[in-house]
Amino acid sequence: MKSTHRLLRGYSLDPAFSTKLDTATINEITYRVRWESLKRGPRGDYFEVIDYDPASNCYYDPVDLDEKHILAQNGLDPSEGNPAFHQQFVYTIAMTTLEHFEQSLGRKVIWSPRKYDPKYPERNLYVDTIRLYPHAFRDANAYYDPEKKAILFGYFEAVVNPRGASPQGINLPGGVIFTCLSPDIIAHEVTHALLDSIHPRFIENTNPDVPAFHEGFADIVALLQRFTITPLVEHQIAQTRGNLEEYSFLGELATQFGNALQGNRGALRSAIGKFDEKGKWQRYIPDPNDYKTIFEPHARGAILVATIFDAFIRLYNSTTADLLRIATNGTGILQPGAIHPDLVKRLANAACEIAERLLHICIRALDYCPPHDITFGDYLRALITADLDSSPNDMNGYRLALIEAFRSWGIFPDRVNTLSVESLQWSKPDTLTQPEQKLLTYIARFLKDQVRTIVEISTMEVNNRKEIFQQSGEVQRLLHEQLLSKRNGRFTEHQWSSFLKKIGLTNQVQHVHYEDEIITTEKVPKLEVHKVRPVYRVGREGKLVEQVLVTLTQTYVIENGTLQGAKFRGGATLILNMSRNFDVEYIIYKNITSRHRFVDQMDYQQGKTASFVAFNDSMYEEADGFAAINFAHLHFH
Amino acid sequence: MTRNPAAVTVTVKMFDVGELGDCFWLQFATRDQESNVLIDCGSFRNSEKSKTRLNKIAGYIRNQLNDRQLDVVVGTHQHNDHVSGFVHCEKIFTGMVDQTWLSWLDNPRDQLARSIKKDQLNLVDTVSKLQSRLPATSSAGQILKDVLGFYAASGEDEDGGGPELPARGIEILKQLPEKEVRYLSPGDILPLPGMPTDAVRVYVLGPPRNQTLLFDKDPKKTETYDPNLAFANINAKRFLSALENNTSDGSDRAEKQFPFSSTHKKSEAKAHPEMVALYKREPWRMIEDDWMQTASRLALYLDSYTNNSSLVLAFELVKSGKILLFAADAQTGNWLSWDDIKWKGVTGTFSTEALLRNTVLYKVGHHGSHNATLVKALESMEHSELVAMIPVCKTDPNITKKNGWKMPAKNLYKRLKEKTGYRVLRMDDGYADGCDPQKNKGKTKWKSLPYQPRFDEKNFFVEYTVTG
Repeated sequence: MKSTHRLLRGYSLDPAFSTKLDTATINEITYRVRWESLKRGPRGDYFEVIDYDPASNCYYDPVDLDEKHILAQNGLDPSEGNPAFHQQFVYTIAMTTLEHFEQSLGRKVIWSPRKYDPKYPERNLYVDTIRLYPHAFRDANAYYDPEKKAILFGYFEAVVNPRGASPQGINLPGGVIFTCLSPDIIAHEVTHALLDSIHPRFIENTNPDVPAFHEGFADIVALLQRFTITPLVEHQIAQTRGNLEEYSFLGELATQFGNALQGNRGALRSAIGKFDEKGKWQRYIPDPNDYKTIFEPHARGAILVATIFDAFIRLYNSTTADLLRIATNGTGILQPGAIHPDLVKRLANAACEIAERLLHICIRALDYCPPHDITFGDYLRALITADLDSSPNDMNGYRLALIEAFRSWGIFPDRVNTLSVESLQWSKPDTLTQPEQKLLTYIARFLKDQVRTIVEISTMEVNNRKEIFQQSGEVQRLLHEQLLSKRNGRFTEHQWSSFLKKIGLTNQVQHVHYEDEIITTEKVPKLEVHKVRPVYRVGREGKLVEQVLVTLTQTYVIENGTLQGAKFRGGATLILNMSRNFDVEYIIYKNITSRHRFVDQMDYQQGKTASFVAFNDSMYEEADGFAAINFAHLHFH
Repeated sequence: MTRNPAAVTVTVKMFDVGELGDCFWLQFATRDQESNVLIDCGSFRNSEKSKTRLNKIAGYIRNQLNDRQLDVVVGTHQHNDHVSGFVHCEKIFTGMVDQTWLSWLDNPRDQLARSIKKDQLNLVDTVSKLQSRLPATSSAGQILKDVLGFYAASGEDEDGGGPELPARGIEILKQLPEKEVRYLSPGDILPLPGMPTDAVRVYVLGPPRNQTLLFDKDPKKTETYDPNLAFANINAKRFLSALENNTSDGSDRAEKQFPFSSTHKKSEAKAHPEMVALYKREPWRMIEDDWMQTASRLALYLDSYTNNSSLVLAFELVKSGKILLFAADAQTGNWLSWDDIKWKGVTGTFSTEALLRNTVLYKVGHHGSHNATLVKALESMEHSELVAMIPVCKTDPNITKKNGWKMPAKNLYKRLKEKTGYRVLRMDDGYADGCDPQKNKGKTKWKSLPYQPRFDEKNFFVEYTVTG
């Protein structure tokens, strides 16, 4: 018989919760990780753990998870003092996170490629695995390094009670804190790598929402993932008598890390509320002003996290209202004392199910985002559109909960008149002229044949991601060729131009006005085909969605004047429906000729707006204001 | 307070110390009285050239005073570029100082200050040890060298006086006057010695001393003195012990058991060969130097920490209400704390906001770096006579080198010019570009002011006079 899962023991919260009486029993759980053959490390198809500790100038022996004693006991005992367990644990959480992504996205994850030779930017190199270094440096930090395709975890010593004034929270004073033992931190960092694999241009700091989105999204995944751990949720629901809006460590991220760093009882980040200055816990009240005034990436990202969590609470409350009525003879008001264990189970099941679905909706929405320059408003539209596609009925009100939550936090998309599902859904292309329609049909027909090969290899069970990568690359190249040659045959310059405009692109030299300058780009920006990927996914109503994602973009670089070196991009994500003859369903674009977006981006990157945030407090100005997001500086706190 | 305070004019000389550094001489005068104030005297390096220049400047001040004393000398914070002159020109200053003003952080009788100073000195010490261990060419080594320059502790600089030099500067400042040193805390309001008591008021804005801020839960507010410093210290020591372990035989016992017991630690020779080979196979993925970035983070932390400990003073000419704001090198945390200051003995509409609104001379923070002027505060400076003075030197090697410091920061510089009506003075150039009344007629608004700037290249200063 073939194994489908590998059982691995690990922490559900941070290690320190194992030393607290009320959480010790639920902090050690058994994770079910998809089975794959593993080498020492562990090293699998997606991740490789290499436990080299340069600061200590040593290696730690790699764990062999296939060793029979280890297999027989569901992996190693959770232990802070055994580096082999650390290796097992980063692997466990990394794989758990990856599985949620593959399940939601309906395709195999292919890591963002590495640029091999700067002279040939098209020549991307396939990256097989993300490398995990559990003990990479001595600092309160952990980060994804997009150049190294690696996640580096740090470790550090907890503060010894500074001048005897503040409590230690849950830490041993002077004890070692390992970031690689916090499931939140691992999930957060792995999510950065996963997000980078889907949207490599989301690391370009083009508006205040972009770095905040990377941070917020990574926290959302870490948070919702935790709510899928049933024993944990049961414990919490029993304690709060079913009320998830009360203070609970479930809504906090990286508690131990936060405690160690600040020498007090505070989690690093919290989605539900926080302790005020007097040490009293307060639930966050949605404040639409925050989105207008908070720009530091983590704090702004936290708005997105709170918004999604808000939707979660709304769904939980509405889904469980009937259970509470049944349990209370219709009053909905619980008797004092503990609630019935059966009710705990039912409530916990509801919460876990909602968390998992919401998590998948959030991940799936990534495919419905523009290829760069994301805003929270875009993300709301992506959430709604993605969910409409996969679950058209929405019996349980997921979409309404999301809309309500975004509204109460004051996050509104650009150019949308009402906050209804219909107007939030990305618009379908209905203004195409006949020749344009023809071109798209032609592309569709062309893609149909090409994509079939990818589909065939994609559905194989073996690890052939490299083959998929190469095939997709080949199809991208061909599509690029086709687009250019087709244009020559069939379109007049004017028609071609008007078609490109509809997908956010241009075939003209750009003249942009910025302050007193008029800047002319030297060349017509080159057309780039970034992605051609077929996807197969199942929505929560069991509906199968078969689509092809195509990304087209253009970039121009400003060659002179005060903005010299600045880059500006435009382009679109096209979503084609395979089951409807490859019709283009959505064109999600950012217009390269948009003047207001250009001015906004330049103002932002030049630090002229209040929203500009320098990522560190050094005297070195951010290189030129156009730098990519530097995760090492940004992370983890 | 009397109803009719005397009118005061203030002549401010910004001395060009030839490199990055601060030295300001303020002469307050009523019709019949005069008061002389010196705010800082230092330059970044301690070379012969630096010393010669500082001596010329100190000598000039002494000559001009002609046996009168400096009524007040202010040492804003313990960085070389602000206090080295008191060491190098100790002889000249001897007998010349009536009173010294320092921040509460320099008060040896203040327990909180003492423990903070101790932590800070430890950190400087550890960071300078780090620097001697790190390769000078590494980016971390480079940053460490830069930061330690402020403490004259950069190991590479043969003229470096060591981290005790700026500390000695403060000590000398304490010994120079016969009168007792005054240690100032935010919220203090003082009359200016040598002036009629009601003519000039001095407001102390920073460094913050808010006991509750010390252990505040919100990390965003704790850019002041807090457990972060303790944490930085622990972190720095662990880092240093790792460096020592890497460069020697690693005899430190604590290090041997950190973070795991030594039985787990395998040297390259004893490690699993497959893993070693794997690690080394792809050089682009190796992490040999990444852990050293910790050093630069620590150093930058130390740097902004010390800058935040700056003594910030606002001089009010009571009759006109005009303010001269001297922000030393205060960075964000210091500025942010001003809003919460509880002023002693004031009533009515007085506020920090009003101080900013009435500012007519702003000594720009930290040589014009991007994080030493709070945007909100600069926007509040709306007085029609606003002038800005930036002690910056464009030929300083820290600025001219590749990837050098951005001083003044581009956007701040531009905004300063807009806010002042193109009346920005620099230590090195005199008029900032765009601010020369000859070349930039119509653009600069110097003409609307009663006094025009004066330049004295022989005696290395830019002078500007405020009337009020």
